[in-house]
Amino acid sequence: MNRILVSPSPHIHAKTSTSVLMRDVVIALLPSVIVSVLYYGWAALALLAVSVVSCILVEYLITRFMFKAPGTIGDWSSSVTGVLLFLNLPPSCPWWVAVIGAIFAIGVIKMTFGGLGQNLFNPAIAARVFLLVSFPTFMTNWAAPEGFLGVDAVSGATPLGIVKEGLAQGLTLPEIYAQHDFSYLQTLFINIGGSAGEISAIAILAGFVYLLARKVIRPYITLSVLATVFVFSGIFWLVNPDQYTDPLFNLLTGGVLLGAVFMATDYVTSPMSDKGGIIFGVGIGLLTILIRYFGSYPEGMSFAILIMNSVVPLINKFCKQKKYGR
Amino acid sequence: MKTFSIGGVHPDDKKISAGSNIEVLPIPKTVYISMAQHLGGPAKAIVAPGDKVKTGQVIGEPTGFISAYVHSSVTGTVKSVGLRKDLAGIQVVHVEIETEPDEWAEGIDTSDTLVTDIPQDRQFIIDRIKNNGVVGLGGATFPTHVKLCPPPDKKAECLILNGAECEPYLTSDYRIMLEKTRQIVIGAALMKKVLGVQKTVIGIEENKPEAIKAMTAAVAELQKISQDYNGIEVQTLKKKYPQGGEKQLIDAVMHRQVKSMGLPIDVGAVVQNVATSLAVYDAVQKNMPLISNTLTVTGDCLPADRQKNYLFRIGYPLSYIAEYNGGVPAEAAKAVSGGPMMGKAIANLDAATLKGSSSILYMTQEQTARKPESNCIRCGKCAEACPMGLEPFLLNKLARNGMMEDLEANAVQDCIECGCCLYSCPANIPLLDVIRVAKGEVIRAMRARTAPKK
Amino acid sequence: MTTTIIWTIAIITILGVVLAVVLYLVAKKFKVEEDPRIDEVEKVMPGANCGGCGFAGCRAFAQSCVEAMNLDSNYCPVGGNDVMKKVAAVLGLEVKEKAPMVAVVRCNGTCANRPKTNEYDGYQSCKVKAALYSGDTGCFYGCLGCGDCVAACQFGAISMDPETGLPVVDEEKCTACGACVKACPRRVIELRNKGPKGRRVFVSCVNMEKGAVARKSCKVACIGCGKCEKACPFGAIKVEHNLAYIDFEKCRLCRKCVVECPTGAIHDVNFPTPPVKPAPKPAAPAQTVTPAPKPAETAAPAAEKPVAPVKETEHKVEPEKKSEE
Repeated sequence: MNRILVSPSPHIHAKTSTSVLMRDVVIALLPSVIVSVLYYGWAALALLAVSVVSCILVEYLITRFMFKAPGTIGDWSSSVTGVLLFLNLPPSCPWWVAVIGAIFAIGVIKMTFGGLGQNLFNPAIAARVFLLVSFPTFMTNWAAPEGFLGVDAVSGATPLGIVKEGLAQGLTLPEIYAQHDFSYLQTLFINIGGSAGEISAIAILAGFVYLLARKVIRPYITLSVLATVFVFSGIFWLVNPDQYTDPLFNLLTGGVLLGAVFMATDYVTSPMSDKGGIIFGVGIGLLTILIRYFGSYPEGMSFAILIMNSVVPLINKFCKQKKYGR
Repeated sequence: MKTFSIGGVHPDDKKISAGSNIEVLPIPKTVYISMAQHLGGPAKAIVAPGDKVKTGQVIGEPTGFISAYVHSSVTGTVKSVGLRKDLAGIQVVHVEIETEPDEWAEGIDTSDTLVTDIPQDRQFIIDRIKNNGVVGLGGATFPTHVKLCPPPDKKAECLILNGAECEPYLTSDYRIMLEKTRQIVIGAALMKKVLGVQKTVIGIEENKPEAIKAMTAAVAELQKISQDYNGIEVQTLKKKYPQGGEKQLIDAVMHRQVKSMGLPIDVGAVVQNVATSLAVYDAVQKNMPLISNTLTVTGDCLPADRQKNYLFRIGYPLSYIAEYNGGVPAEAAKAVSGGPMMGKAIANLDAATLKGSSSILYMTQEQTARKPESNCIRCGKCAEACPMGLEPFLLNKLARNGMMEDLEANAVQDCIECGCCLYSCPANIPLLDVIRVAKGEVIRAMRARTAPKK
Repeated sequence: MTTTIIWTIAIITILGVVLAVVLYLVAKKFKVEEDPRIDEVEKVMPGANCGGCGFAGCRAFAQSCVEAMNLDSNYCPVGGNDVMKKVAAVLGLEVKEKAPMVAVVRCNGTCANRPKTNEYDGYQSCKVKAALYSGDTGCFYGCLGCGDCVAACQFGAISMDPETGLPVVDEEKCTACGACVKACPRRVIELRNKGPKGRRVFVSCVNMEKGAVARKSCKVACIGCGKCEKACPFGAIKVEHNLAYIDFEKCRLCRKCVVECPTGAIHDVNFPTPPVKPAPKPAAPAQTVTPAPKPAETAAPAAEKPVAPVKETEHKVEPEKKSEE
């Protein structure tokens, strides 16, 4: 016994740490990353590298030269942001857009509040919205690059964009679907068009199952987002199936799955309690559908998450878990 | 299978020493008997250097209502009465005795005969418990006779015997449940008689199936002998820490929750440890004072043949037990008295064992050293783990900023210091270290506020 | 179009007038009468809101000054006599001058003097450590070294010396607000008279254990031998519970105690010359004590303590050991 350590109890610690949790999130994102790289090819791979490297680099530079603190890149959180940022970008988008996104996500959204755990908004989502507003052409209108699977490179407009445009032209939904040869099977496995993370529902769900199995997240937020999207859009659809897209379409298209599984469940920017998580999820679902149906943007998920992020402190204040004996 | 309703964690239970029978330790040359072996006022030493004492003779008298007798655990000559460091390095009055071969004080039945007849005189049982210095052996060492005499306006409904032993590594309760099964049940019947309750539940965690089997059999056997054993039942509990916490056990067994700052008796419950029950049996049926207890010597860095359960007498130095066991392993970086979740780190291995000593647990650097603290990522794992439903992340922040009113409003005083929050924090924030001190300050402030009114 | 603009202007104007009237009435109705002198006094306060005066902040102090008949019981330790004179001038009161104070760390248990017996691995806070156990050295009374005092100091006047593990007070910055005294769970830090030209004599130990025990855990502990008490011509030193304490009101800085102390627990700081040796026996320590503090003091007055004690003890203990043998 060379050293005698003395500390207050407890003397053991669960085999968990911030870096292990974050690494699990990266692993859970891998299926989506693989699918998008296969589908979009070298361009996607390059974009992934650029966004991950620039996120890590921005975090390193800020902690090193502005905070003058030991680096925090070892906790994998900037890698998570980098991968999520990539999944939120169209694969053909220029590399410098990803760099700007990384600088905004890490530099403005995360580090100005004091780094990991202090930020109010999810960095990747905030960066996506920032880029969407700043560079609408790159973000919405693009040609898909050729992938490794040899699938035809079709128009880059997302199903949601096509629907929005069609409705604006005065067409009904069945007409639009018929024009574009749309099927659910496609969205489930490989979606035509969409940002890197939107193309495969199965890949995202695989990540969800992994996160649940590793007990990284609890299912309440994700399930309440999905259930709300389904039910709320279902009501509209039943009222007028010509004008409003059906629930399944809403679940499988756009960033709903990616957002519900990976972005809304971000520890830092979601409520602590399960009850709060359900309220948070319902809010995201309602806002998403409202924006999709009545807003000027075809996609509402990122806006919805961002708006609900700002309500989290309030939810945390009012949704406390039941205390023993009180 | 029952369990408590809020929070809890699942540490690896690592009952490595579960298979080893209780061994009796030989008496060392010198013992040091502390006068502060219980919660409340320390006992006052009534022997002087040079006095001859017999085994089981009173050497310390209680001071105040919440206090207990201390008896000599050996026969011999008092060498000194003075300050000596306890395991935390704090100076406490100890009686140093140079030992001689055992000569028991009068009236103590040292035979092995099992006494199953329950005395019908309630006061007789209480006096025996009090005079033999029985204290709670589950950790808090609260004087048992005080706990068994609730205030007249409160009525006990159920006696709960705590055999959960939810702390990892510890096996002393498990061993006595296997080896002293019937004595424990008789002890429970004695306490049941004192409290006048109909129902007694012996709660044992599911990871000790043999103990559950043995206890169930012993209860059935004794119920055939006398009516006094009716109403005693064994309840299997889910393996979840802190199942053995008093408030959690009441929640699990009775589905009632003790109000904040309240006592178990407020909901009609009295909780006693199985080891206490054994001590009650010895005290009442054998008139044997509480001078010995079972202690586990264990740890991952200890070879399999040195994982032991020992019967020690109070006052044996921890270092003596460690030496007898073959010395402190080289890889050990920390020795803990008690379980790894709530036990105390031993700063001074020369300290003497107390009535409530339950283990010497060796931990390696790798297992136990704290990792550097990083930012809170607001994952809520601490709040999820807290068996009292508190929000440790919030309490930590409030405590570091000295916000006493907010701490009280957020129920820091309800903290049971179980360690679940710190155990589960991925950012390695020393939550409990901070909260424990804040809790002390808040409780002091609350007492100061109510004191003048009374 | 024009009508819209006119309507807008009209509505906004009316709204503005109505709200202005409401605001006026509310301000009138809920007006808090306050002595204007409170503001004036607050202006001359340092504004640190440190609480060193015993009030919640500078404004609370100002209010108490205004309400008080005299300023005898009010004193701002941060601003000192200068500020109190200004306060007195504002209020037209008299003020008694108080001797300036400074925070003094009464422990010299450096790593060399006080060997570690174990390693503390919990949260680095003296409060937490003190609540847990006796500390990572044999001494139950001395500095715990986690720096609660450093965190408590609002003036950046205390820092931990990484070499000794003890806090160092910067005399220039210390305002004697007493925050560190309250923060220290072991009551190691005391506010003492700053002394003429910063010259002070104090016992740098708070160990109340018996001599042999104290000495065993720390080479420079006060062993309560009482030599200093006898040597003091002014009766300023008292030994109670095996610990000497110098009353700074009575101490005349003759430093007879410094040379008498067998363990070097009594420190003299900021003196230009070594203390006078009265007897040949403790001469050896006396000579070694002084060269160290002198250069350190002239170079950096704040750093004199950690430099001096280390050297002082190394030399002082040896002759004492010989005399015991």
